[in-house]
Amino acid sequence: MNHNDLINLLLCIGIMLLTGRLFGEFFRKLKMPLVVGELVAGILLGPSLLGRYFPILDEIVFTTKGNVGLVLNGITTISVVMLLFVAGMEVELSVIRQQGKTAFKTSLIGLIIPLVLGFFVGKYFYAFLGESATQNNLAFSLFMGTAMAISALPVIARTLMDLNLFKTKIGMIIITAAMFDDLIGWILFSVVLGMINHAGNPYGFVYTLAYTLLYAILMLSLGRVVINKSLPWAKRNLSWPGGILAVSLGFAFLGAAFTEKIGIHAIFGAFIVGIAFGDSVHINEKTRDIIQQFVNNIFAPLFFVSIGFKVNFIQNFDIQIVTIVLALAIISKLLGAILGGLWGGLSMKESIAVGFGMNARGAMAILLGTLALEAKLISPQLFVGLVVMAVVTSIMAGPMLQYLITGEMKVGVKLGEIIKISDREKETESKD
Amino acid sequence: MTQVERKLPFPFKKIAVAIAFSPRLEAILAESKRLQDIFNSQMIFIHVGEKNLQQEQYLKHLIHRFGLEHSGNLLLWEEGDPVEIILEKCKEHDIDLIVAGAMEKESLLKYFIGSIARKICRRAKCSVLMLREPSILSKKVLKIVVEGSDHPKTVHTIETALYIAKMAGSLDINIVQESDVSKMALIRSENLGDTETEKQREKVFKEENEKLEDILKCTDCGNIKVNIERMDGKPGYVISSYAREQKADLLMLNSPDTKLNFLDRVFPHDIEYALANLPCDLMIVHSRVEE
Repeated sequence: MNHNDLINLLLCIGIMLLTGRLFGEFFRKLKMPLVVGELVAGILLGPSLLGRYFPILDEIVFTTKGNVGLVLNGITTISVVMLLFVAGMEVELSVIRQQGKTAFKTSLIGLIIPLVLGFFVGKYFYAFLGESATQNNLAFSLFMGTAMAISALPVIARTLMDLNLFKTKIGMIIITAAMFDDLIGWILFSVVLGMINHAGNPYGFVYTLAYTLLYAILMLSLGRVVINKSLPWAKRNLSWPGGILAVSLGFAFLGAAFTEKIGIHAIFGAFIVGIAFGDSVHINEKTRDIIQQFVNNIFAPLFFVSIGFKVNFIQNFDIQIVTIVLALAIISKLLGAILGGLWGGLSMKESIAVGFGMNARGAMAILLGTLALEAKLISPQLFVGLVVMAVVTSIMAGPMLQYLITGEMKVGVKLGEIIKISDREKETESKD
Repeated sequence: MTQVERKLPFPFKKIAVAIAFSPRLEAILAESKRLQDIFNSQMIFIHVGEKNLQQEQYLKHLIHRFGLEHSGNLLLWEEGDPVEIILEKCKEHDIDLIVAGAMEKESLLKYFIGSIARKICRRAKCSVLMLREPSILSKKVLKIVVEGSDHPKTVHTIETALYIAKMAGSLDINIVQESDVSKMALIRSENLGDTETEKQREKVFKEENEKLEDILKCTDCGNIKVNIERMDGKPGYVISSYAREQKADLLMLNSPDTKLNFLDRVFPHDIEYALANLPCDLMIVHSRVEE
């Protein structure tokens, strides 16, 4: 890397962080997830807009080519690993284990229906998604299923908190179901990526699945014990919070390197290490906060802005694909949640609310799409469709939930007020 | 609802004591006598194992020695699987509380396989008291730590704690509200500012506090002082550590919503943190109203 490359790289990173944050904050003010702004910043800087009018910038600064592109690619790969580590920390296995029957049924059906519908469309209607039959169809179909099934926990948690539903029955069902979907979704996607690595090997699927499960089981049993022993040691002997940050991310990268080596994608290693860390009793809110702040404010924007450099969103915008992906995502999640919710004993209205809550795909679907695009599993057109779907489903979750729940909530509040008033009256009477 | 399902966790009219011929047998019987006197209970001693004349005579002698020869008290001598038999007999005799001695900590293997006392805890349909250090000598005043989580069962656990405190002559109880703030970090990951996070956290805490206040308002606390402590961290682990730090005599937790199995030890259920390493005597309060 020469002097000019270094200047270009530093320029690029600086501008990415600044524009990503500015646009992110702007969209946040509009009650949209920060990631929407970061994506828009990338689209503006990349070949879709700025690069179109100032090709020189696209060539040397906001680029995916040459030395700058190579380093930038390395940075975004590291970002993906860290993002998956954080996603893993958000999945709480004990919460999934302790879920009641309603949450279990909703999670299960809410996962299976989108998975099956996505798989079915990928398997038989791939042409409508702009894909050809020559590709690894099984991997592609599995990917479509996973992309429909995955959900975005932070967006969901934030929406529920905004609507004051976080600690309600519906809120807990949505959170648990989303954790379950993410856990299974990322395992499946790792298998899909592994299958691409072992393309041509008839035992590729079995091999990858076996390794994936083996790694997950070992890491969540023995690995967890090691982590649980290391954390108190780190707390005692290393400076805080630097020590804990280094230990957690160090383990994440080691896990990622190991899974990459054995033929499963690096993301899976980081994701499972994240689960093991998140589960530890030694990780408190502040520690989680520091890890999340570090990853979400520095590395996540770099990754999401860089997406705009890789794909020309205007050229690759295909209304047919976007519509199909969006409709498939919404219908499959809603159908899954409704059937699961009804089976679990929820009312129709509650089930629809769970469906819209779980519908938000957010950053996770974008992450999934980017990895699939890099693995050449999907076309840029389908990738754009997935990004649009992720953004739209995340934006619509809040208003739809509010619309569906408000009536019931108001009744709840009124009842609560009546009880409190009658209590107060009783107190006054007794004082009198 | 059947008759059993309508019953509150207390009063402890019938107490079953699981007994084995271990070095702690005398201490368990001494504790049984204290429980009998405090709660005015009928005691049912269950021993699972082959009947042996020598042991039977020794047991009768101890029962006499500790003044447990109350007319209603029973000594059941059964054969079979200890856990199954004890649970079956408890159901048959409509027991309110099962008492069993337990080691503070067990080997990893034994913990995962499950000891008798811990297995009973995980499966019982009534409240269970695990005595970590049963003693022949009388303890002075019970220091009670009780779960104050935002759960429908908490009201019964707190009421039971107050009942025990009154009966045992304790002056206060300590309610621990565990705040699982990992979810707060999850929300914050959506880039919530400091003020906003604080606002959300306060909102959650306020709601929880109000619920707890409502419980206490509706409960007769008598002269018992109720101390409330809020702690952040992993539910189950936090209260267990607190009980240990405070050198509590009794930790009282809500019963699990479902029967616990092996997987609940691998991916620990809240109660498993206390079961894995008993901080003091542990009572799992089975709130039978909710079932």
